[in-house]
Amino acid sequence: MVGLNSIATGLRRTALIPAVFLLLTIILAGWHNNRRPRAIALLPSLTNQPEYCLSCHQDLPEISRSHPFQAFGCVLCHGGERLSLEADLAHRSMRGGRNPSDLTVAQDSCGGSNCHTGEAAQERNHVQRVLTSVQATYAGAIANLRYSFGAQPDLTARMGIFAIRDEHIQTPTGLPGLEAFAPENETNPGIQAFAQNCLNCHLSAEPLPGEETSRLTGCAACHSLTAGDDLDQPLHSLTLKIPYTQCNTCHNRGNYDLRNMHFVPRSDKPQDRLHDYYQPIAQFVRCEWTLDCIDCHTRYEIMGDGDLHSNQREIRYIQCRTCHGTLDELPLTRTITDPEDLALRMSFLNPVIDLGGGDTVLVSSRGEPLWNTRRLADGSYELFGKASGQRFTFRAVKGSACQQNTAEQESRYCHECHAVER
Amino acid sequence: MRPSFYHHLHPPTIPSPQARFRYTLGAGGISVYLTLVLLVTGILEMYYYVPTPEGATHSIQTLTFLVPYGGLVRNLHYWAAQGLMVSVLVHLLRVIWTGGYAPPRRFNYLLGVLLLVVIVLLDFTGYVLRWDEGVRWALVAGTNLLKTVPLLGNDLYILAVGGDQTGPATLVRFYAWHVFGLTLLLVVLAIWHLFRIRRDGGIAVPPPELRRDPRRITRFELARREGTAAIVASGVLILLATFIPAPLAQSIDPSNLATTETQAPWFFLWVQQLLKLGSPFLWGVLLPLGLIVILGLIPYILPLARPAELGTWFPQGNRSAQAMILILLLGILLLSLLAWLG
Repeated sequence: MVGLNSIATGLRRTALIPAVFLLLTIILAGWHNNRRPRAIALLPSLTNQPEYCLSCHQDLPEISRSHPFQAFGCVLCHGGERLSLEADLAHRSMRGGRNPSDLTVAQDSCGGSNCHTGEAAQERNHVQRVLTSVQATYAGAIANLRYSFGAQPDLTARMGIFAIRDEHIQTPTGLPGLEAFAPENETNPGIQAFAQNCLNCHLSAEPLPGEETSRLTGCAACHSLTAGDDLDQPLHSLTLKIPYTQCNTCHNRGNYDLRNMHFVPRSDKPQDRLHDYYQPIAQFVRCEWTLDCIDCHTRYEIMGDGDLHSNQREIRYIQCRTCHGTLDELPLTRTITDPEDLALRMSFLNPVIDLGGGDTVLVSSRGEPLWNTRRLADGSYELFGKASGQRFTFRAVKGSACQQNTAEQESRYCHECHAVER
Repeated sequence: MRPSFYHHLHPPTIPSPQARFRYTLGAGGISVYLTLVLLVTGILEMYYYVPTPEGATHSIQTLTFLVPYGGLVRNLHYWAAQGLMVSVLVHLLRVIWTGGYAPPRRFNYLLGVLLLVVIVLLDFTGYVLRWDEGVRWALVAGTNLLKTVPLLGNDLYILAVGGDQTGPATLVRFYAWHVFGLTLLLVVLAIWHLFRIRRDGGIAVPPPELRRDPRRITRFELARREGTAAIVASGVLILLATFIPAPLAQSIDPSNLATTETQAPWFFLWVQQLLKLGSPFLWGVLLPLGLIVILGLIPYILPLARPAELGTWFPQGNRSAQAMILILLLGILLLSLLAWLG
């Protein structure tokens, strides 16, 4: 016992136990320090500011060919704390959470004068135009509903999903501004039910549950291909090759029940595009079910022309004759001479067609190049699917056996003869 | 051997009962040790810290995440600062609850109260140096309190903030105060405080004829106990610093007017709660200042412990002071709790 006592006294005297405790804490601190992720630096050439997101996110695929990570890095688009190796802090100031293209933040994430806004050229002000488009404002649906329930005297839009003004009206149907649609100010229960049940298909809306309606918001609603995917999986991809299936995450998804004012999603799982996709009463021609939507519908139609419109009819202007002309006139074309021509840029970004100077492309009545088309030497035309890359050839109406009245050239007249039978 | 400052602080022998941990709680010694830790880690942090609004958060994040053991150094600085705040308060309570501030130790007591004020200011300036979303509200609220002072308010505000709103000038001022002005004051006052302990006759004890236990411990034993306490404190600091990192928030987004964090740092929660009562000058400036003045006046206006009672807990002579500090403590704890819950 004497021995034990003297050992105990010795331990106390030499402070051995505290010393061992201190040593253990130091070892523990060193061990903990080594468990941290290894810092992987990235110095994007566009920002020239180091960021360490790759320390954890090395497995993410590059978002697109046009946004190489060596140039853009992550923070330029996503925001966040670029130096943090701690996930919670790193993600705290991210724009739009997982989706920086959400319309609340797209101006900061995707915009900027070097990127997709602030350009003198209207066709490059994508974010500004999208904010004015009917897909973002949903002005047409809101105006229609409010008119139907007597809340406004005509179909001219007054309200959108968010308040917005347009200082530069360029089209006859352009509106100077829209107020924010505020369901709490509406007295009619029908409009309130609409607000409650039917605001699912604009660009800021969270999608309805289910794989068929699975899409992101903002720019990524179209440019990130989600159709049929589980949104919980990380999705790091932007594309210009947008197939019709992506459009169908909003379009052709079901019908609105106007009596009960709610959305009735279709119950079938469409497999065969020709027979399943379109409404039973719809008339459409072959190119409408063989091509992708974006093969004909232009950026002004889909992403807005910069003006606020009252409904989609005011912005939709591509007709059969845009590509096929009429009995009297060939379709409008433009021979590329300017190396900065939009058609060249687009075919560079999405090289389904090898356009070059001297090529003649179709143009719309508003001068937008249908850059995936080209006039061939024999007077016919070729078109490449923007998503599929598939080649189609077609002829102009002029000189054909068509006997259509030249005053009646809208698509619905063409459908009379050319609609596909199901 | 020439006497050194070490020998000044460590007499050949000191009374054993008053050298016990359960009497001193080691609070004064641990405070000295934590101050040394703060000075060393603070100097290390200065090699990285950039006192500009753009640089502050990024330099702290660089230090925390990218510099080898930089995070540990920052966390040690943080935890030593929190620990110091606690240990000086414990020290204050010990001195009052043992009546140790009686003459001739009144002046040293005043130095101690001044040290407490300097430490609170150091804590607040250090907290603000983060310059992230987490401190934005407290900085604006804290500096706006200065404006409420009659006559001098706006000048005080401009003096502290360096303009009509917080910005780069504010940060550089807080930085200069933190690493130079206040630190210098802390070091000078702390050395003076330590020097005065021995000058005032060491730790308060009854006169020799009234001591019940005449045993004494040696200089060596005192240093050994101090060393042991420092080793244990270091271990606890390292554990805290390793497993509970100091807070960090995202960089301040000037375009975003709403702040996420609207709570004062913990040592000012009670003031935040007081501010809800009404006049910011009365509750946010006058009352806290008044409390410090009252604290300083305790040895001058309230009955003192009798010499025979010194060196023991809760002597009868200064019961009024003991009760007052208890009420003050409970009040501050209650207000802090209310602010924290609210």
